[in-house]
Amino acid sequence: MKKTIAVLLTALMAVSFVFANGSSETAASDGTTTLTWAVWDYATTPYYDALIEAYEAQNPGVNVEVIDLGSADYQTALQIQLSGGGSEFDVVAVKDIPGYNNLVKAGLLTDLKPYVERDGIDTSKYGGIVEQVTVDGTYYELPFRSDFWVLFYNKDLFDAAGVPYPDNDMTFEEYDALARQMTSGSGSSKVYGAHYHTWRSAIQLFGILDGQHQITDGGDYSYLAPYYEMALSQQADGVVQDYATLKTSNIHYSGVFYNESVAMMNMGSWFIASLIAANNSGQSDADNWGIVKYPHAEGVEPGTTLGTITALAIPSSTNEKDAAWEFVKFVCGEQGAEVLASTGNFPAVTNEEINNIIASMDGFPQDEASKEALNVAQLYLEMPLHDKSAEIEVVLNEYHDQIMTGNMSVDEGLAEMGRRVDQVLAN
Amino acid sequence: MLRKKEVGAASVTANGLPIDPSIKIEKSRAAKKAELNRNLVAYSFIAPNFIGFAVFTLIPIVFAFVLAFMNWNGNTDMTWAGLDNFKYIFTNEMFLASLRNTVVYTVGTVPLTLVASLFLAIVLNQKIRGRNFFRTVSFFPYVGSLVAITAVWNMLFNPSMGPINEILRMLGVDNPPRWIADNNWAMFTIILFSVWKYMGYYMVIYLAGLQGINSELYEAASIDGVNTWQKFWYVTLPQLRNTTFFILIMLTIQCFKVYDIVYMLAGGGSGALSEATTVLVYEIYNSAFRYWRLGVASAEALVLFAIVLAITIVQFRLEKDK
Amino acid sequence: MMIESTGQKVLKVLLYVFLIITAAVMLLPFIWMLSASLKQDRDVFTFPIDWIPDNPEWANYSRIWTQIPLLRYILNTVKLTIIVTLLQLFTSSFAAYAFAKLRFKGRNALFLGYVATIAVPWQAYMVPQFMMLRGMGLNNTHLAIIILQAFSAFGVFMMKQFYEGIPTELCEAARIDGMTEYGIYAKIMLPLAKPSLSTLTIFTFVNTWNDFLGPYIYLTRDELKTIQLGLRSFIGQYSSEYGLIMAGSVVTMIPVLVVFLSLQKYFVEGVASSGLKG
Repeated sequence: MKKTIAVLLTALMAVSFVFANGSSETAASDGTTTLTWAVWDYATTPYYDALIEAYEAQNPGVNVEVIDLGSADYQTALQIQLSGGGSEFDVVAVKDIPGYNNLVKAGLLTDLKPYVERDGIDTSKYGGIVEQVTVDGTYYELPFRSDFWVLFYNKDLFDAAGVPYPDNDMTFEEYDALARQMTSGSGSSKVYGAHYHTWRSAIQLFGILDGQHQITDGGDYSYLAPYYEMALSQQADGVVQDYATLKTSNIHYSGVFYNESVAMMNMGSWFIASLIAANNSGQSDADNWGIVKYPHAEGVEPGTTLGTITALAIPSSTNEKDAAWEFVKFVCGEQGAEVLASTGNFPAVTNEEINNIIASMDGFPQDEASKEALNVAQLYLEMPLHDKSAEIEVVLNEYHDQIMTGNMSVDEGLAEMGRRVDQVLAN
Repeated sequence: MLRKKEVGAASVTANGLPIDPSIKIEKSRAAKKAELNRNLVAYSFIAPNFIGFAVFTLIPIVFAFVLAFMNWNGNTDMTWAGLDNFKYIFTNEMFLASLRNTVVYTVGTVPLTLVASLFLAIVLNQKIRGRNFFRTVSFFPYVGSLVAITAVWNMLFNPSMGPINEILRMLGVDNPPRWIADNNWAMFTIILFSVWKYMGYYMVIYLAGLQGINSELYEAASIDGVNTWQKFWYVTLPQLRNTTFFILIMLTIQCFKVYDIVYMLAGGGSGALSEATTVLVYEIYNSAFRYWRLGVASAEALVLFAIVLAITIVQFRLEKDK
Repeated sequence: MMIESTGQKVLKVLLYVFLIITAAVMLLPFIWMLSASLKQDRDVFTFPIDWIPDNPEWANYSRIWTQIPLLRYILNTVKLTIIVTLLQLFTSSFAAYAFAKLRFKGRNALFLGYVATIAVPWQAYMVPQFMMLRGMGLNNTHLAIIILQAFSAFGVFMMKQFYEGIPTELCEAARIDGMTEYGIYAKIMLPLAKPSLSTLTIFTFVNTWNDFLGPYIYLTRDELKTIQLGLRSFIGQYSSEYGLIMAGSVVTMIPVLVVFLSLQKYFVEGVASSGLKG
């Protein structure tokens, strides 16, 4: 009985696959191949078209078509489209690690390792990222963008206060002191010394930079306590904006930086391109700015920071695997990297040359420290790959919220966080 | 006099109910044929809607219910799970919290919305100046984009800088509630928002219901010299019974299915709902589209369905008993 | 005839005060929307709330037409909304007649089943439904949205409740006169059900117009997308253009209000209002 039902349902689904696969013919009669690429934020992201143009110029027989699934629920939309193995996509962008993990678990992605080995690609150029997305000895995506967190600061505000700029080697104590020193004024002239966006990464992950802990380990999270205490005391003293206010009012970090109401802000390197664009269009007043490396704990090498990767994968359902692989190889390789860098974005392939392209961009700060800040010593993913990463992420977010809104004390919140993550791990 | 009227009115509305099943008539062939014919006519009325509904909604729903006893991630083979999914959800504290919160939300929202919308409909059914304007305005919160209305609501109720708390502080409240940011006030804030958003919607249904009331009933009541309150109590309310019944059921179902407003109000930046604000459909959404455990999501949906079905059956029974 | 006493006058004043306050509370978000639609993104969420922007950003209203193909999205949405509303009105009012005024086998069970399925959240059966419709080749077609929206149990339930308020004697008299059931539906029930048909029109219109999730799953090709998808595309991964979202929301709310206002007249024909007065 049980078996029958399972077989029946599977059969029903199988019928729909057949139909679906039949409708996703991509090879046209004139010999050109059309690759369908799932992405998000197509209209506002300059590099998609740049990459496609560069690729099509080199490969006249290939047409790349973009489908925009929106950014907010990208992974959900992508997996629904892929579910049952009947999508029309040949290449898909993968937005985050939990989403990647889900797709891999459902068997929706093509194993890329054989292709990489066949074509002799040296994955060490990705600086260890490929190792971090390896599941059971193999991997199903290759990164093309790799962003890392730095500390943005507003030079005008530091000049006005007569305080020296932050530098590339700052401990958390020094950073905290500087934030307090830079706080001034009230009402509309209020300047906050620092700013934490509402994402958990902005505070919680200070705690993993010493390399001693994995955020997915569960158990004792008390190692995060010093950082939560720092942030909460800054909040209580008006050094940073109130978390609850930021959260309930959808206050976006870019606005507060553009308005020159914060002196320092820890944020991902993606903000560099947005900031330059906003300064050029007049949306932002913060046109005199700089970046330095992330603050670090005592004894940790400066340049140790958090990273977020954006990757490409090939759905297992596509009929155009080889053509799709060629495209992935291009985008994730050196040529794609140059295109990305020329639009002010950080490719996953990092080297001196790429950093030079970005640092020489119009609008990038001219001081040496800002350029030096682009050199990453050690990168930890915001969410490491884990079988339960999606579930763990939800718990981590929940208790970050509870602690920062003051609904739970730091100790209480972290204890609950540990207990709940343990529950997830046990299930 | 008045009571007689009420009874008369009730018998009219009760007409749609099935006739007494105790009357059994020996069926002749002709009667059977007539009955078959009658059934066919009735089915032909239902068919256009039902076929579309059955194929595109009912089948997937049945499929989903079977999934509640399976493990499935949307792609690879399904495996039989038996009651494992149910065991899992009933030991999952977030699911239990969401069940509790959803019940609290429903109990708080249904009566308040019902009363508010009825009151609004009766006021706006009178011949007053600017009636169309007031009606349209009441409908605004329902029509407006959710992004916009939750954004403005959260700004108004902002704990530190929002105008509501500024006013409370001016009135001498030293520590005004932190509303959505406070676990103890969050659900209350969400209920308040829901009543505000949906009262205009249900007002429209009540308005339509009010048009169906026979004016003779009021005229007769006027001759009897009853006051406005009595008219409301003995004429309007009984006459609106069908409408109220409909609203009660729809409102209950809608409350049990609440999701997006909670997510937008309380989820804010991180998109994570805490134990104080999580609701059933949020857990279903997470199970389905964050964890891709479609069997678990289906089991959760089945629990939701069972609760609502039980409530609906009770409501139908009570309606019949009247 | 009616002589208003001072008591009634006071009552009337109180009523207006109440209505004006209610209206203000209801209007507030709309006013905020209007004001936000004339701001730069970075100024949308600043405190204290700036109700009248100093330098209104009128460009937002022109940018929404160029940044996304809004006109095409509007046309798509109009098409979908009109078809869905017509289908919904017809099938619901038709089916509801049988549930309200005809006796047939399995009526109560069928009806309860209908209503109960409203309680199943879409999230639970979205994936199987999507696979099924995709299997039928309906992914990336407007037909998918029409099919999903047009056959709801909600409309049937609502129409049934209203029909039941119509005296059955009317139907019986017509039957004796030899009218068919279809005739009774068309000539007697429908004209009497105008207020509820208007209500259903408004609701279906609003729901289809504002629907996000359905189009989001089924319409991924740009030429098929609807307004809500367009508005949502202003929310990006790293920045959200709230000024544009609000401007778009204001523009797209207008048709809904027009529909609401034009159907208002069906809510005033009842005699109930005069009965309650005084």
